[in-house]
Amino acid sequence: MSTFVARNGIGESQRRVEDFRFLTGKGQYIDDVNLENQAYAMVLRSPEAHADIKSIDASEALALDGVLLVVTGEDWKAAGYGTIPTKSGVRKFKDGSDLKEPPHHAIAIDRVRYVGQPVALVVAESLDACRDALELIEVDYDSLPSVTHQSEAIKDGAPQIWDDIPNNICLDFELGDEEAQKKAFEDADQIITLELVNNRVTATPIEPRGAVADYDAETGKFTLWNASQNIHANRDTIADAVLKIGKENLHHIAPDVGGGFGGKNGVYQEPILILHAAREIKRPVKWINDRAESFLSDTHGRDQVSTVQLALDNDGTFRGLRTETVGNLGAFCGTVGPFTPTGGSSRTQGGPFRFDAIYYTAIAPFTNTCPLDPYRGAGRPEGSYQMDRIIDYAAAKLGMDPIELRRKNLIPESDLPMKSPMGLDIDCGNFPAVFEKTIEISDRAGFAKRKEASEAKGLKRGFGVCMYLECTGGGPKEEAKVVFRDDGKVELSVGTASTGMGHETVFAQLLAGHLGIDMDDIEFHQSDTDATDIGGGHGGSRGLEVGGSAVTQTSREIIEVGKKIAAHRFDVGADQVEFEEGRFHVPGTNHTMTISDAIDSQNDPDSLPDDLEPGCMNISTVFERGIISIPNGGHACEVEVDPDTGTIKVDGYWVVDDFGTIVNKMLADGQVMGGIAQGLGQALMENIVYDESGQLVTGSLMDYALPRADDMPRMVIDYYEDAPTQKNLLGVKGAGEAGCVGAPPAIVNAVCDALKEFGVHHIDMPLTPERVWRAIQDAKAEG
Amino acid sequence: MPAITVRVNGLEVTKEVGARTLLSTFIREEMKLTGTHVGCDTSQCGACVVTINGKTVKSCATFAWEADGADIGTIEGLGDAENMHPMQEAFREHHGLQCGFCTPGMVMTAVNLVENNPDIDEDGIKHGLEGNICRCTGYQNIIDAVKTGAKAMRG
Repeated sequence: MSTFVARNGIGESQRRVEDFRFLTGKGQYIDDVNLENQAYAMVLRSPEAHADIKSIDASEALALDGVLLVVTGEDWKAAGYGTIPTKSGVRKFKDGSDLKEPPHHAIAIDRVRYVGQPVALVVAESLDACRDALELIEVDYDSLPSVTHQSEAIKDGAPQIWDDIPNNICLDFELGDEEAQKKAFEDADQIITLELVNNRVTATPIEPRGAVADYDAETGKFTLWNASQNIHANRDTIADAVLKIGKENLHHIAPDVGGGFGGKNGVYQEPILILHAAREIKRPVKWINDRAESFLSDTHGRDQVSTVQLALDNDGTFRGLRTETVGNLGAFCGTVGPFTPTGGSSRTQGGPFRFDAIYYTAIAPFTNTCPLDPYRGAGRPEGSYQMDRIIDYAAAKLGMDPIELRRKNLIPESDLPMKSPMGLDIDCGNFPAVFEKTIEISDRAGFAKRKEASEAKGLKRGFGVCMYLECTGGGPKEEAKVVFRDDGKVELSVGTASTGMGHETVFAQLLAGHLGIDMDDIEFHQSDTDATDIGGGHGGSRGLEVGGSAVTQTSREIIEVGKKIAAHRFDVGADQVEFEEGRFHVPGTNHTMTISDAIDSQNDPDSLPDDLEPGCMNISTVFERGIISIPNGGHACEVEVDPDTGTIKVDGYWVVDDFGTIVNKMLADGQVMGGIAQGLGQALMENIVYDESGQLVTGSLMDYALPRADDMPRMVIDYYEDAPTQKNLLGVKGAGEAGCVGAPPAIVNAVCDALKEFGVHHIDMPLTPERVWRAIQDAKAEG
Repeated sequence: MPAITVRVNGLEVTKEVGARTLLSTFIREEMKLTGTHVGCDTSQCGACVVTINGKTVKSCATFAWEADGADIGTIEGLGDAENMHPMQEAFREHHGLQCGFCTPGMVMTAVNLVENNPDIDEDGIKHGLEGNICRCTGYQNIIDAVKTGAKAMRG
């Protein structure tokens, strides 16, 4: 089979290479990694939200047949291991003092602070022996008062989660000009205020987390196979900061990873615990979370309570925006946890709309809950929800048309490039064009008739729209390495981490397109600290922007070297050689050389000019992004609500995204549709709930609702492709998170539009039938 | 330990199984067929779907001994990379998978739906896939894949 790719690989919906493996049951996920003589590990997790550990008695567990080791906080203290540090990009309070970072050990030492926190690790010959041993470990807890809600946690007199952190506040934050915002509010005709909850959710990849650890006593080196999306950075943290073994002694690898969405980005405790155990028992140790543990221990996302204020004139002109947020952090700082409600949620405030001034302020407190860390979008969904909800709410309160209100205030193309009031570098785009295209494809003209048909069935139909502004993120550097093997295969290694996004295909597509080689000859490698020197992994929709640019940059360097080889053969200057579709040629002559010829020559010193060494076409480069890109787009949604039961059917969905250049439309569509499903889940059904004593109520897939096939509408995805960015080599703007940035406000706006005749103008997510029904009853009662 | 005799993808085997060995564990660890995945412990996600005597079951909620004497079908029996089943082809053509973890269960369910109802429509597909959760795709491409796969299976 041969697959040749034209146009430098851009614009072709190549079908995926990895699908052959995944579709035939040959994927290699973490639970498929098994080492000879491996032992199994399970974690004893805290049943208490907040308690002192008086004692742990593991003697009966250790006496059980097949039990090899029990690890507790006492062992951890004795080993002198370090804590797991946060890498939050925001590290200072408003007053300049340092963020409060409590010690985060891989296992509870003396006190537990959330239900699910690791208290002991059991290692045994079998999983059954582990399960039996867990039952036999006796932990004497002395319960302490606990607090799970962030608004309660910051009150005077609230239970203290850390003795030395007043009001449980880890960090506060501000961005924007508060004086200018106040002036804009004074000058404006109207100020509309809305209190919003951005509900607590969890990524819920279908593959639970897991890891396999191996230790070589002779060399002192560890190998860790880990269902992680961030292999290089987490290797550094685990090896250098925690275990203090030196990062050169930890080979960190992710096999195929079954979804992540941010939930597998951070450094988790269990892989560290099994590395310790593997060294203790001198055998490989395997640990796989079950689903119930996943709900307790996978980092959660969102969970912000906000007050949003929009100041506008009577003619609808936006003047100022003020957002105050309290963002729950859980009991510890996540790997980048404190950044999400502070810096992460601030940058896209105001969306693609014109304002005189914007001010954002946040408080990030600890609570007795599982730590929070990025979940797809990490801050931008919160910003988008605040902006697009306050617009519809203001429109309802002031009797305006929410579509006209957006149309009036969108930043015109002529204002670009610009620096947003939040400091974002918005280089290109055309928000009015994106908006009009969104309205156009959503068949507004046919809405009245569809509404009439719904009414005839006793149902309420509504239409909602959102105009989101995004920004990408994650590590700015990425490596792409190409090695041409003697057997004709081409190894491409990139430091990004695909957990389903299709890098194996799209990066091969780019390399094949640039070089004019057969895509089927390319072998892709990722997520392996031996494959690339650096690797930014996953996060911030960075894959194509940074990884794709690195592949492009490496391809270009390979071509430059190839030109020198061709020039040497034809005895001309390298600047006289041109490259096109896999061939070097000298214009005006019949001299041509294929890329395969050049590759074959690279190991023959006689074929090389003096300044090239054998193997010179095997090249690795690091691309570094200067400034993050600004994806943007419009979402429109139609819903049908049954006012008698509160059930919602999302009946139509339309999106126009500006992701700059579209390299593989099929994969871009897939990212958008998957993101919409997660946004729909958050809007309508997903909710992590702790009760007042800190117990997790939603601890299984029977309590935590995920969208299923019959919850989803048919989605129409379109693109605005006339504004490629100059910020990277491909002109792309990250596509991975946008779907779940735009979907929640579009859906909630549509439901509120459907219910406006009842006087219902806001319902907090998730919009479950019960909440919708109650909102209607309450509004009716108020008359 | 009692022994069970089953046919897995047409191959008859007799093996001893523990009283609390799940069928998913038997398939993955005894038969070394790791395409059957375990994504939850409440038979909600469907990553573990296999067929027993032509009916789909969630193998993580079935004891191995319950399958004694049965014909078991797993994703590995459907087709390999060089010779994929039309449903597998359709999933690739429509980008009906991303991370691939739910995919084996999804494909097993899809094939079974079409075998039982060759003319299945979109609503039937959506309803029929209710027991299989995909967190990546938003389902639209899966539904389109099943339609195309059904057409190919009808011939």
